[in-house]
Amino acid sequence: MMKVLALNGSFRKNGNTEILLKQALMGAESEGAQVEILRLTDYKIGPCRGCGLCLFRENVCQVKDDDVSFIFSKVNECDGVILGSPCYFLELTAVIKQLIDRCWILGHRIVKIKKPATVIVPYATRGWIPYISVQSNLLLNLMGLTKINEAAICTQGISEVVLDQEAMDLAYHMGKEIALAIREKDLTYKGEEGVCPSCHDWLVRILKDRETIECPTCGVRGKLMMVDGKIRVKFEEKAWADNRFRPEVIYNHYTYHISPSKDYFLRTKEERKSKSQKYREYLPG
Amino acid sequence: MTEYFVKLRYYTGDALEEIKEGDLKSLARKYGVQISYEKIENRQMKEGFLMEDTLDKQIEDISQEVITVSGDREGKFSDCIRALYKKHRCPRTVYSLLGSNEAGEKIAKGLMNLYGGW
Repeated sequence: MMKVLALNGSFRKNGNTEILLKQALMGAESEGAQVEILRLTDYKIGPCRGCGLCLFRENVCQVKDDDVSFIFSKVNECDGVILGSPCYFLELTAVIKQLIDRCWILGHRIVKIKKPATVIVPYATRGWIPYISVQSNLLLNLMGLTKINEAAICTQGISEVVLDQEAMDLAYHMGKEIALAIREKDLTYKGEEGVCPSCHDWLVRILKDRETIECPTCGVRGKLMMVDGKIRVKFEEKAWADNRFRPEVIYNHYTYHISPSKDYFLRTKEERKSKSQKYREYLPG
Repeated sequence: MTEYFVKLRYYTGDALEEIKEGDLKSLARKYGVQISYEKIENRQMKEGFLMEDTLDKQIEDISQEVITVSGDREGKFSDCIRALYKKHRCPRTVYSLLGSNEAGEKIAKGLMNLYGGW
């Protein structure tokens, strides 16, 4: 039986995020899925220690006293994910970011695991959600999942979302959609297209040459232009080879940007030790 | 007279535009600098990917394209480095300039921050 897992980035029990996720799970269940929900704040997710040992030694995270391996094992066991998080200040909640940072251990995968994911973000005030897709795209990509839809839902007080039938119907539909995507092995994107054809976000970053723009999530570069009075973002076809979530690009990043730093680290050992001595002595923690 | 000498180490995937020796020669002529090019290729096809174990290798020995630029006129040297970054984007890593001299590294690193380190 197919399994759909909801990851809840909200601390609030029975808040809008949880209600929407449960509604989506009901939709998935209506298509025959077995469902489960994890409220991430119920689990211990420690900070990444930046030790790099997951990359340099044995592919095992050195943080052993928390629940991140359990959460990743749940993602591994399921066939599709529904990610939910409230947006309080422009982006998703801190527990999502904490989990993103712990994805180092997964990030060097070179093969997508071909599972669909969808994203539901309740928020209160229109215009206060510019970075929500950056974080959800990052987390899903690092976990090897493929986003097939996302929705930002304007709602405010605790459990108020049940008053918004359109939002409830949408969440239910998105849950069904995940189950259908699993059954039909269809990972095509079904949501609203943004300016980036890969992550579907609307954000662009202007680079310092003031000629080039970049999708901040995918790292793909292009140009801005005006066509018939409308802003148009043009990405060259060949630029897609540089999408940072393509397996080859991820592989190159870990192979050529991360791993060789060991040699550099060893070469600079004496100079580092000598120059950092005063910081060890100053305000010792 | 100050000698500016820099090695730009482009690892696999770092250069957005293909590095062509002919283009480098044109740049050398245009800016009155010396440019040399070296390609190190140690990748092997495994599981459908060109792969390489780089963890225990020396930085100089892993697959990369090295553009070496030298000159004694700061302005021309800077302009040449800027042109290289504009075409290929700047190299990506903290060890991209290994083997450069201090004067060359200072310019190349400053331009990275201005034109390509983001």
